[in-house]
Amino acid sequence: METTQMTEGGGGGATGIAAQMEVEAFRRLFPLPFYKRHLLESVRPDARALDYARDTTISLGPVASADGSALVKIGETAMLAAIKLEVMTPSKERPDEGSIVVEFYMPPICSPMVRPGRPAEVAPVISKQLLDVIRSSGMVNLKELCLISGKASWIAYLDIYCLNADGSLFDAALLSAVAAFTHLQIPLVSVTEEGRVFTVSSEQEEKTKFELVNKEKRKLSLSSIPFPLTCVIHEDYILVDPTAEEETVMETSITLVLDTLGNLVSIYKPGGVGLASTEIMKECITRTKRRMQELKTILEESVSVMEVD
Amino acid sequence: MEYVNPLTGLRIDGRRPTEMRHLKAQIGVVSKADGSALFEMGNTRVIAAVYGPREVQNRGQQMNNNEALVRCEYSMANFSTGDRARKPKGDRRSTEISLVIRQTMEACILTKLMPRSQIDIFVQVLQADGGTRSACINAATLALADAGIPMRDIVTSCSAGYLCTMPLLDLNYAEDSAGGPDVTVGILAKMDKVTLLQMDAKLPLDTFETVMQLAIEGCKAIAQYIREIMLQNTKQLECRRGS
Repeated sequence: METTQMTEGGGGGATGIAAQMEVEAFRRLFPLPFYKRHLLESVRPDARALDYARDTTISLGPVASADGSALVKIGETAMLAAIKLEVMTPSKERPDEGSIVVEFYMPPICSPMVRPGRPAEVAPVISKQLLDVIRSSGMVNLKELCLISGKASWIAYLDIYCLNADGSLFDAALLSAVAAFTHLQIPLVSVTEEGRVFTVSSEQEEKTKFELVNKEKRKLSLSSIPFPLTCVIHEDYILVDPTAEEETVMETSITLVLDTLGNLVSIYKPGGVGLASTEIMKECITRTKRRMQELKTILEESVSVMEVD
Repeated sequence: MEYVNPLTGLRIDGRRPTEMRHLKAQIGVVSKADGSALFEMGNTRVIAAVYGPREVQNRGQQMNNNEALVRCEYSMANFSTGDRARKPKGDRRSTEISLVIRQTMEACILTKLMPRSQIDIFVQVLQADGGTRSACINAATLALADAGIPMRDIVTSCSAGYLCTMPLLDLNYAEDSAGGPDVTVGILAKMDKVTLLQMDAKLPLDTFETVMQLAIEGCKAIAQYIREIMLQNTKQLECRRGS
């Protein structure tokens, strides 16, 4: 492999410690000057423009044993989401609503930072963010998860596993949750005399004499689907869809979530060195709108691919 | 329940008694890891990621200064089994399997070459349909090879059982939970040595020998497949390197 030498010129904060250095070493030792050099040319180390997100792919139904599942990859970041439905008795205050439980896991395979006994700090934060966004966006109408008012309803356990953590974790997680809900098929259900609800599999459907409570295998009708975008801010530069390295080096990230009706669902900027003026916020919102269109197309394509199968 | 149909001689999923499930492997699925692999045996799908050799995190665990420390963690995804698992990591079964995988891989890694360092093997089960232990060991072997960690030999593992008076290779979940014996074998492929052998339930001695032989044949077939995958991977790397 050819080693490219980089002369230490006048730019950046590294004061002539080494006149000539290998690129990889420079990247590790002086990350901010390394990025500064790239930002001056409006490009990033992986040759992306500042406002370009990485290649995103969505694949529906990878987990056959779950009621709904999706695998999402944004660049190298990979998330696997799966939904399992179970029957529960609804609460007295809301007798005709089901509920959703969201859990986000970062198993040790996903990143060298995560070790057994030292779980990732960011995992419970993302878990809470996901729950908040899914609830407040109103994407899932909880009344659709009801079976028998006051007696039985569905509880949807959404488990999201990060398989590879390379930045924009919340984006990929929310996208995989949305895709899993799009793929979700509610199984057929019947009731015994004692009032116990049980699921009827499709083979038993023809032979059964039981009364089926929900006649056809239903899909949820999702309204106002939320789409996210994470950006990092460094001085006046906005970098869209950061990799893990960019997130660690620049330290200030903003996550915006817009829904398909054009409403702002969530803004999340948890402190950080960079300050976001109104112009920067408006820029971020424009970028998020564009990204939302991209993601919407990708999601629709993956749904139609699945239906063809 | 007829696990082997007396008329056709086929099992419930249509396989013959000495037929293994469809194998599929992919190297390099987790870019952040030093080495990783996805291994599928039928419907059982497992990802293994290897981080190492790297600095020892917990000085207290470092027993021997002359050897690398090998650590392993096995965990199952909540949705991997039919019913949603309540406690996917800390439970006894996961701890036992973590221990088994660690000791199996320790047998083949040349730990003396990497003193004072640590090799972490993490295995995540995405879909479980019987034989997860074996799939994990096979995935770990591929991941270790991808990470470039020096090994004595490749370790492969396969399970076999005995139902309806027939030895069956590579049990799936339904056959495994039938209550018959389940023999899991792990071998060092070229050296032809057994490193892992586990069995539960009762078996007469001569039947045990037949079943164990069958499992060893299965391991050798998997070793063949793993070699092909590693060869393909090396060819691709060579291609990318431009030589």
